[in-house]
Amino acid sequence: MRLPALALLTFGLALGTTALAGHSDKAARVELGRRLFYDADLSRDGTMACATCHEQFHAFADGNRTHPGVTDEPGRRNVPGLGNVGRFSPLTWADPRQTTLADQVSVPVLGTHPVEMGMAGQQGEIVRRLAANPCYRALFARAFPSGDGSVTYPRVAEALSSFEATLISRGSPYDRGMLSDQARAGQKIIRRDCAGCHAGRDFTDLRFHALEAPQPRDLGLSEITGKAADKGAFRTPSLRNVAVTAPYFHDGASPTLAAAIARHGLHYAAPDQAAIEVFLTALTDQSFLTNAALSLPRPGACPVTNRP
Amino acid sequence: MRLSLTQLAASCLMLAAPLCAQEGAPSSSMPAAPACTAPVAPTGALAPWASPAPLTAGADGAHAALLKTGQAAQIALLPTPSVTYPLQPEKPGGSVSHGGVMALEVAKAGTYRIALSSGAWLDVVGADGAQRSVAHGHGPECSGIRKMVDFALKPGHYTVQVSANGADTIRVLVAALP
Repeated sequence: MRLPALALLTFGLALGTTALAGHSDKAARVELGRRLFYDADLSRDGTMACATCHEQFHAFADGNRTHPGVTDEPGRRNVPGLGNVGRFSPLTWADPRQTTLADQVSVPVLGTHPVEMGMAGQQGEIVRRLAANPCYRALFARAFPSGDGSVTYPRVAEALSSFEATLISRGSPYDRGMLSDQARAGQKIIRRDCAGCHAGRDFTDLRFHALEAPQPRDLGLSEITGKAADKGAFRTPSLRNVAVTAPYFHDGASPTLAAAIARHGLHYAAPDQAAIEVFLTALTDQSFLTNAALSLPRPGACPVTNRP
Repeated sequence: MRLSLTQLAASCLMLAAPLCAQEGAPSSSMPAAPACTAPVAPTGALAPWASPAPLTAGADGAHAALLKTGQAAQIALLPTPSVTYPLQPEKPGGSVSHGGVMALEVAKAGTYRIALSSGAWLDVVGADGAQRSVAHGHGPECSGIRKMVDFALKPGHYTVQVSANGADTIRVLVAALP
């Protein structure tokens, strides 16, 4: 079982609060973080949750080129998938400062370039909304028992990061050694031509590379470093679940795997192209896309006994 | 009112192919509202959009307000915590958002387009559960139609759920497509 803590939690929810009494703080933070991930009260008008852009059936990517925020300001970059994101650092397309999940929470929630969830300067409002909910008060108290257990913005971020760290995708046909001959042929090509950057267990070196001439609308890494050499550089994305995370690249301008491969300057004969795509599709972890322990919590009773 | 082929083609320009989500398709950008200097009245099947009748959303399936095909409605929504949806929306909205429950009677099988003035989440629930959308997109620019979702519906009773709306009102039009 990939997620024993979450599985136990789900079992506990079915049995009621008594079964949850022995839960570790970590499991409690994951449970809290899951609820927060799907809660649109983290946005200005209550319309956007983390899950609004990070949809499970897209491996927690989006399916759009970019996604506007609550003020309708257009998104700047394609929404990345979150599979195995707990192993990644740095985390985002072109900001090397975003090295931890807890810190990165503030980019969509509080950020203004662009405005996504629109809560800049409104951390207190987030706390007010959540603390008004008796269930959240109980969940925070359980998840953070060492202090006063109150709702705070740093605890919101910490709980979200705890949940995101459980977004583990290791159940693809590739992981299970179930590659077809055609997929193996595609794997050989990937190893030969792509593994310089799409390296390692998650098919990313987590480094920044410039594949094409910089575009004025998005200069990538150099926006942060100020270095001319970093213009047009973006972090290598993972290829895990890549078949369900179209469109591709930082700008989402490549609608298909074929288009994305061609954008690398790579052009293959039809059999090789097909083999590559079969291999990439074999990186899709269907259980990750449907795992109920990672999905929107069902409505109903609070999973913990309410506290005043 | 029927839609001419030309009008239909124009209104479908931004509609994506069948999908399981409403918010976008691979290779299509989730639309942001364009900058408009003046409203543009939609035409064809969407023409009733310009003259909505007031309606108050229901708080649950038993109190659903009736949506009439071909008649736009300016709907007063409820605070999300006051709404009990017959089916949990995929995007339920936060406590400060708004939503509500409506009803729709379909007499003739066909494709029905539901136009919304916002990017609210929309569910159409029939006797056999949530209906899968067959296309979606945004409306004519500057018409005030932010989002359109098409459903292939059989005759019967449907519950229309609007959730995760920022404002406390929303305009909705159900239009039968030819």
